[in-house]
Amino acid sequence: MIDFKIRKAESKDVPDILRLIKELAKYEDMEDQVILTEKDLLEDGFGDHPFYHCIVAEVPSEKQSNNGPVVIGFAMYYFTYDPWIGKLLYLEDFFVMEEYRGFGIGSEILKLLSHTAVKTRCSSMHFIVAEGNQASIEFYKRRGAADLSLEEGWRLFKIDKSSLLKMSSGPEE
Amino acid sequence: MHFKVRAAAKEDCKDISRMIMELAVYENMPDQVKTSHEDLERDGFSPNPFYECLIAEVPDEHKTKDGYTVVGYALYFYTYSTWKGRSVYMEDLYVMPDFRGKGIGTGLMAKVAQVGVEKQCVRLQLSVLDWNKPSLDFYIAKGAEDLTAKEGWHFLRFHGQTLDTLAKEAPKD
Repeated sequence: MIDFKIRKAESKDVPDILRLIKELAKYEDMEDQVILTEKDLLEDGFGDHPFYHCIVAEVPSEKQSNNGPVVIGFAMYYFTYDPWIGKLLYLEDFFVMEEYRGFGIGSEILKLLSHTAVKTRCSSMHFIVAEGNQASIEFYKRRGAADLSLEEGWRLFKIDKSSLLKMSSGPEE
Repeated sequence: MHFKVRAAAKEDCKDISRMIMELAVYENMPDQVKTSHEDLERDGFSPNPFYECLIAEVPDEHKTKDGYTVVGYALYFYTYSTWKGRSVYMEDLYVMPDFRGKGIGTGLMAKVAQVGVEKQCVRLQLSVLDWNKPSLDFYIAKGAEDLTAKEGWHFLRFHGQTLDTLAKEAPKD
């Protein structure tokens, strides 16, 4: 058992959030793809128009140090829209540092997110997982998640900025 | 055929709702549509909108046999990538069957791309059903990459009962 607390992220948490984003990217073997900076996170999450919401998990620091609690996990989410069922909560990132896994911290974060979804009138909570990440897939399936890619055949596509620019500067009708 | 792409107004929600149902029928899932045009009005045209929408309309002389001049729509919202920052997600793109092959779909999507670029989004994402070959071809021709095939991403969700079950176990506020 360990003592932990889950709370809403504040602007002062941005350095820790970026640190954990990079750790999660490393876990997914895609560390070099993180180009976001602390300045981006601050402006995009704590400015006039937040693009995301974030909760963090913290544990008390070592008794002998003078430091405050240490952030050891986070979840980032935002609201999306399904024209068939309305508002959804989309879970973008969800990570607990390796040495703090197995203590129920991830479970508590997921329950809190689900509660937030229900409270804000969302019909569903969506997210993506890489098929190679069996540990995460099992974690979610144990709790009742359905794989829409397998069950209904949905495939995720992206269009990068250069293609977007090409499309948006195309001939007007 | 001349057509115009413009931002949807609240009054367009009845047409959008009609076309959402037409798209659901095309995707073989009409019984899954639970939203009404009133839901769309509340969720898209209040101070904190959960989506944005563009519509394509044709002049009166080209209206459908039922008298509609609104013949296509693109519904999108902003998302956030912890690796790259602001993104735009195109949830629905639809053009009525009799109006396809005239550049309307391309025109709608180009406008979404333009809005995304103006809002400093680094990419556009969307999802397509694996059997929907015309749509797959359409998006790939515009530079879309299949991340499900390339990187193994699967869509998962907690929906209805499974979401409620998780939410009930959340720590009290």
